[in-house]
Amino acid sequence: MLELDGVSIIYTVRGKELAAVENASLVCPEGKICALIGPSGCGKSSLVQAAAGLKKIASGRLLVGGKDVRSTRENTAVIFQDFGLLPWKTVAQNAELPLLLRGIARGERRGRVAPILEELGLSPFASFYPLRLSGGLRQRVAIARALASDPDLLLMDEPFSSLDTLTRESLQDKLLEVAARRKMSILIVTHSIEEAAFLADSIYVMKGRIPGRVACFVEAPRPRSASFRTSASFFKLCVAVRTCLESKAEGADR
Amino acid sequence: MKKETAFSRIVRTLAAFAVVIIFWEAASLFVARPFLPLPALVFERLFFSLRNGTLLFHTIASGKRIFLSIVIALPAATALGLASGRSAKLDAFVSPFIYLLHPLPKVAFLPVIMLFFGLGDGAKIFLISVIIFGQILVAVRDASRAVSGALLDSVRSLGAGRLALIHHVVFPAVLPSILTALRVSLGTAIAVLFIAETFATESGLGWYIVDSWSRVDYIDMYTAIVSLSAFGFFCYLAVDAAELAFCSWRETQ
Repeated sequence: MLELDGVSIIYTVRGKELAAVENASLVCPEGKICALIGPSGCGKSSLVQAAAGLKKIASGRLLVGGKDVRSTRENTAVIFQDFGLLPWKTVAQNAELPLLLRGIARGERRGRVAPILEELGLSPFASFYPLRLSGGLRQRVAIARALASDPDLLLMDEPFSSLDTLTRESLQDKLLEVAARRKMSILIVTHSIEEAAFLADSIYVMKGRIPGRVACFVEAPRPRSASFRTSASFFKLCVAVRTCLESKAEGADR
Repeated sequence: MKKETAFSRIVRTLAAFAVVIIFWEAASLFVARPFLPLPALVFERLFFSLRNGTLLFHTIASGKRIFLSIVIALPAATALGLASGRSAKLDAFVSPFIYLLHPLPKVAFLPVIMLFFGLGDGAKIFLISVIIFGQILVAVRDASRAVSGALLDSVRSLGAGRLALIHHVVFPAVLPSILTALRVSLGTAIAVLFIAETFATESGLGWYIVDSWSRVDYIDMYTAIVSLSAFGFFCYLAVDAAELAFCSWRETQ
């Protein structure tokens, strides 16, 4: 479970302090997917880095599993837009990396990663280097690596933004499938209204720049039909998110 | 696929060798002076001198000097380059010295170095090491600075500490640059070796070239030049082999 309570993030650029995020609060319970949506520069990536323990917060509280986040933690996995794979390691070696860093022996690493590669359809590519793979496959490897660390919190920073629509949608389906088999909180940062509406149980909309703020919150009920992507409730959800994104007054004073 | 490219590379290298020999032959016929002998005469003497061991002795003497210089300079320069490329504090301390010392013509210090290290191999190895140390250090430092921050963040988020980051991210990212720096340094090392071997020694290909020159035995002189070139060529092949073994991920692009 991820909890942010009044979190502010401040950057120091050439001696000047710039507030990237101000007073952001959100809750992402176990087993739920939360989307953080907003325009470029609203500070959503900064929030992910803070939640990952890669960036310090200036004020407020940031809790994972009820504990303050002070540094990176073993069971928080992060997936970035540019995949973050090591080009000199094969698909299997990349997926094993979190286990290698924990000092787990080779045989056990193999055994734990093999079913995850299978689950993501990566088994035929296990010995390939990432440079030989398409963007969609590379992001599957990034997901496999994240799952290998057995996370209770999965942070995704625009994970599918650089992919074409069909690849993106098939990965979104895969993510839901994978998430349903596990008990983890997922926070996904996106600038796509459709992606937020399709994936999330709850959608937080961020607005403004320097600092960005959490402007509104949209609840997205489950369960959903198989044809959710083309259903009326999906479009209703998109409209609700868009209304918030486009309303001026709320972002300005809250 | 891979076999074919390796094969065609060998063919192209042999073709280049043939072109060089043809130009040499033509130039020799055109100049028609004893200081540019025909390649056939040089290669005939080369095989003779290799068989009786003299040329081999001098090649080994030179090779030993180059090899020891690399063994000393490469790990030290790589370690300091990695550290100062990834630590702003250390770099602030190291960089001014690099800027001050790197452009100096260090060969000019050879007489002073010989006063300190004596007339033996020590002075020569020290000189070559110092020169290639600077080259490799600058290349490694700049390459490790350029390692993608996003890649480091992504591995850091998996719980990697500083050493693990260097082991799994920075070093493999910098390795191609280390090998490129090594190639450049080999050329420099051989040039410096030649100068160093013209002083206070009676072994090494540099000495052999100058000695046969003063004996007015130009064919002998060329056998040493060819040996020195061949030595450099095989060093390049060794670096290529290392690249193929450790950086094969780049071939798949």
